[in-house]
Amino acid sequence: MAVMMSFVSVAASILYTPFLLLILCIIFLASIGKSLGVRRLYVNILLKLFEYGRQHIEVAKKLQRNDSSDEDDLPPTPEDKPPSALIKENGVNGCTKTSVIERQEILGPSPELNYKRSKSQERLQNGHTNEQAKPENSLEVHLYHCLDLAKAGMESIIEDQVTSVFEAEELRSWNLLTRTNRQYEFLTWRLTIIWAMGFIVRYFFLLPLRILVFFIGVLITIAITFLIGMLPAGKFRRRLGAVVYKVVNRILIRGVSCLVNFHDTQYMPKPNSFCVANHTSPIDANVLSTNTCFALIGQRHGGFLGLLQRALARASPHIWFERSEVKDRHAVAKRLKEHISVPDNPPILIFPEGTCINNTSVMQFKKGSFEVGGTIYPVAIKYDPRFGDAFWNSTRYGMLHYLLNMMSSWAIVCDVWYLPAMTRRADESAVDFANRVKAAIARQGGLVDLQWDGQLKRMKAKKEWRELQQEEFSKRLKGE
Amino acid sequence: MRDDKSTQEITAADTDNELVYWLTTCLNRYTAETNSSRSYTSYTQGRNTMGNKSSLLLREEEIAQIQEETGFTPNQIERLYSRFTALDKNDCGTLSREDFLRIPELAINPLSERIVSAFFAESHDDRVNFLQFMRVLAHFRPIRKNRENKLNSREDKLRFAFSMYDLDNDGKISRDELLAILHMMVGVNISEEQLSSIAERTIIEADTNNDQMISFEEFAHALERTDVEQKMSIRFLN
Repeated sequence: MAVMMSFVSVAASILYTPFLLLILCIIFLASIGKSLGVRRLYVNILLKLFEYGRQHIEVAKKLQRNDSSDEDDLPPTPEDKPPSALIKENGVNGCTKTSVIERQEILGPSPELNYKRSKSQERLQNGHTNEQAKPENSLEVHLYHCLDLAKAGMESIIEDQVTSVFEAEELRSWNLLTRTNRQYEFLTWRLTIIWAMGFIVRYFFLLPLRILVFFIGVLITIAITFLIGMLPAGKFRRRLGAVVYKVVNRILIRGVSCLVNFHDTQYMPKPNSFCVANHTSPIDANVLSTNTCFALIGQRHGGFLGLLQRALARASPHIWFERSEVKDRHAVAKRLKEHISVPDNPPILIFPEGTCINNTSVMQFKKGSFEVGGTIYPVAIKYDPRFGDAFWNSTRYGMLHYLLNMMSSWAIVCDVWYLPAMTRRADESAVDFANRVKAAIARQGGLVDLQWDGQLKRMKAKKEWRELQQEEFSKRLKGE
Repeated sequence: MRDDKSTQEITAADTDNELVYWLTTCLNRYTAETNSSRSYTSYTQGRNTMGNKSSLLLREEEIAQIQEETGFTPNQIERLYSRFTALDKNDCGTLSREDFLRIPELAINPLSERIVSAFFAESHDDRVNFLQFMRVLAHFRPIRKNRENKLNSREDKLRFAFSMYDLDNDGKISRDELLAILHMMVGVNISEEQLSSIAERTIIEADTNNDQMISFEEFAHALERTDVEQKMSIRFLN
């Protein structure tokens, strides 16, 4: 026991200095916005490791089980796929979402968003030939009419577009973390050793390092913003505030080992505009803020988050609402207008989905921010899920558990694409404009464009949607 | 921000505590042989012996059992099991009606109640375990010409369709039952009188023995020319 204690103390004293130096180095580099390329190297090594692991798993699984798969007589038809299957294979990640079944009919929140596989195919296989025009006022309902709805319902039980979006994304191949595994670490001895080594590296080296960096980063934030708050208001303070904001975010991002690749920086949001992005995790705002100074908008929190909010508010103009004000849409719109009318105010960063989605899809954008006017700069954020999942499933994990998960993953790697500015056309409604922006973001990021409301995470489907489907069905009967 | 967990501490049941998970899995593996029979009954009763989310995989013998009964391949069974556990928000190994209706696409389906009831037909305690879940889904497997079709023959599919209409499970579709289903499907968009006359017409067309009810044989006869195999099959992409 004594030997072990002395061993530990010796090790600590030897490693103590280099460890501190490492932390100082990280923080210094973060402040000046440069990188030594260590993280990139680390990421590349990990990619090679994952590839090795994947091939190994495939070989081992084939030996283990002789799979007599259900051969499909018909080849899958690439044309006419439902929206959820049309995901562009993102070159960076190489992760495509695999559908389990071939969806024939998908009901959407409003009937024009229903998807049905091409009627011509159905008619060919359908035994009925009485498709002639019916006399008016003759509604024929046959016993087979319920079959389509029953089948659509069954398909949605097996696979649907919405519930999967609120859970962490399923990976195609294992990334050596237990939380994403299917008990792969016991498949072969080699995998177990690799996994165990990864475990040690992540929990005993990376995790303490990141926690310390984060902690120091928070202290620095509070200290510096306090100092800036004491300067007299003016142009100098504003400029300094913008720089400090970026520096602080860079330090905090290193706390989770986040590697960000920016694309198309010529479209970076300009002052006095809105910046709109898809929402996946609480660190989205930090990721975007490493490059641009934003004005954040949100609810005032208590506790640790509130501390950060107040600290940031001292250095740059953010918009924090009281809980009661959030519901009042006019008050919100008024403050937004006020903010963008002051010259040289940083762009406002908004996440119109309103909740965290798992980064495979983009859900309905709330129209509130699109009604105010002004220029909108869309930004698409796509995380690479192989290195660590940034998605926060707030119904499953608390904030602390989530941070622990993030800090003990390999890294957080993401791509940010800036898109050209968009403004609302004269004849366009706010909802159509929001959908247009959403489609652009989904296309760029390789995400599925869903029309469902993100609040379905917590609320039930609305009755009106069901009534709309009933109306659609009756129309189909009458028009058949 | 957080809804259902009452404390912030990370307990051993939260599987992302990797060390504890790893140890418990090791132990479970080495006692696997003695537990094989216990785990079989556990999954049919809907309880997980190995704790909650940690048992994301079924055991080999369970998979073989389901394959034997339903005809799904092991791959498909695993995918459907992960879907089952994803729907099971409370981690209790069984699904309730609310778990099904949490799927928005199902909740807005006019026939959602009938579809969900089909799963609970065999259940005693208003919950569905994985085996029952698979048995119902097996009805929608495509028919394979050269292989045995256990639960997905044309007759099985027709019986499933029949059960959509037969609300009280007495083996006959009455006029009221037909009317109720029509109500579900069209809502308020078609008038009562029209619906009544439609129901009347449908029964007259199908009813061959004039007892004002549609039996299963009459139902099957009425759908003779319908391509039931195509309308009630879901193709799996592997």
